[in-house]
Amino acid sequence: MVGLSEGEKHFIRGGIAQDLRSDGRKRLQFRSISVETGVIPQANGSARVRLGATDVIASIKAELGKPSILRPDKGKVSIFVDCSPTAAPMFEGRGGEELSNDLSVALQRCLLGGTSGAGAGIDLSSLIIVDGKVCWDLYIDGLVISSDGNLLDALAAAIKVALSNTGIPKVSVLGASSDEQPDVDVSDEEFLQFDTSGVPVIVTLTKVGRHYIVDATSEEESQMSSAISVSVNRRGQICGLTKRGGAGLDPSVVLDMISVANSVSQQLITVLDSEIAAAEASEE
Amino acid sequence: MEYVNPLTGFRIDGRRPNEMRQIKGELGVVANADGSALFEMGNTRVIVAVYGPREVQNKSQQSNNQALVRCEYSMANFSTGDRTRRQKGDRRSTEISLVIRQTMEASILTHLMPRSEIDIFVQVLQADGGTRSACINAATLALADAGIPMRDIVTSCSAGYLCSTPLLDLNYVEDSAGGPDVTVGILSKMDKVTLLQMDAKLPMDIFENVMQLAIEGCKAIANYIREVLLENTKQLESRRGG
Repeated sequence: MVGLSEGEKHFIRGGIAQDLRSDGRKRLQFRSISVETGVIPQANGSARVRLGATDVIASIKAELGKPSILRPDKGKVSIFVDCSPTAAPMFEGRGGEELSNDLSVALQRCLLGGTSGAGAGIDLSSLIIVDGKVCWDLYIDGLVISSDGNLLDALAAAIKVALSNTGIPKVSVLGASSDEQPDVDVSDEEFLQFDTSGVPVIVTLTKVGRHYIVDATSEEESQMSSAISVSVNRRGQICGLTKRGGAGLDPSVVLDMISVANSVSQQLITVLDSEIAAAEASEE
Repeated sequence: MEYVNPLTGFRIDGRRPNEMRQIKGELGVVANADGSALFEMGNTRVIVAVYGPREVQNKSQQSNNQALVRCEYSMANFSTGDRTRRQKGDRRSTEISLVIRQTMEASILTHLMPRSEIDIFVQVLQADGGTRSACINAATLALADAGIPMRDIVTSCSAGYLCSTPLLDLNYVEDSAGGPDVTVGILSKMDKVTLLQMDAKLPMDIFENVMQLAIEGCKAIANYIREVLLENTKQLESRRGG
């Protein structure tokens, strides 16, 4: 990214203070979201989300695996994010590793719940086939193609849309359930659609000066003092929280930011749901 | 396995032996890059972003009389049929990065941009055979989109020999059949070969046929790329109000 001059920095900060950002948006306004489903045909589900110049792809592959001993009645989900060097030259080689790890961990925290698996946004018990022996392993892969700020929100939205597009093949169990490794027959024809009503979205509030903005571009992110990413589901419940940035925040400010994120997220969920419905309708 | 049906002459995906897969090229897909392009050959989809000419990051590699060309090739975790977590810098990626860099460097007029660096970043979204050809074609489009001066349009195509028939543009299944796979890259107008790779064995006279078939494929792709670039330039002209 090209460096910013003092005048430009002043312009960005001043605009945010006056509720008129550089691209004309208000502080709590998202850029226009464009959503495409089924972009990776060989995956079980996939989606591409464009938020202004930010472009991310999420793909979901389901493979048969063995459930963990600690949680024999739940399937397994793993989330990996990769920042492609096409998004920025500094991501080449291992340059993007830190950011990729950051994003992967934040997404895991928001979508997968605690270490015991409790409170996950994705219902893991729907992935079990035979208790303790066979389950579905979901691999969620995110790829950042182009970056202009707000990667976390875009990735979470892409994962939500990809999950709604995911079909898990129907499995019938052959062999007795006392077998060590029961044979399963994976159907090529029938698919179960994933239930995504409980999957949360993430809204990142970036604090610049004394105000917070939603959906920051990378220029605006360069001026931030701190940011809070809040994951909210459709019922308005907070599913995860991450604070970034070194500046300290007063606790009352944190609570205020959370409630602002909550109200903004309901709009985002509505927009995403209508985009998903439109994509599904156009597929048929 | 029957890669070419003896009765109808069709391949497994319904193509004739000298028929290429459907190709599609699009410019300007990555907003932040100086130039970028998406190229599809059948189910193989590749995005290339070009950053440059810009200041050299590693001063020890800077050259006083020409530009430094660098290339990095990466495959997405979901690009192949089995989802595999790829390590950055594995041998295949390094080799393909080198191949693409040398092929493009032959065409870029590097002496016009001394002490600068041109980065070509290749991201494979879907791999279904012919990945390195798709990467080179996409890189040509991306370099043109970035306005980097080149001697000629570089295109690439692969051809193989299965069931006693030369086949153009192998897909993944045909490539994994164990037969020879000849990848050719040419400078289209100048009619010069810049890339030639082959694996497995092939008798000399048949090799000439297969290579000739691949070169014809390259020329067809070059015509298509020329059309895409012409269309893009017309759009730029109309946007400028010319």
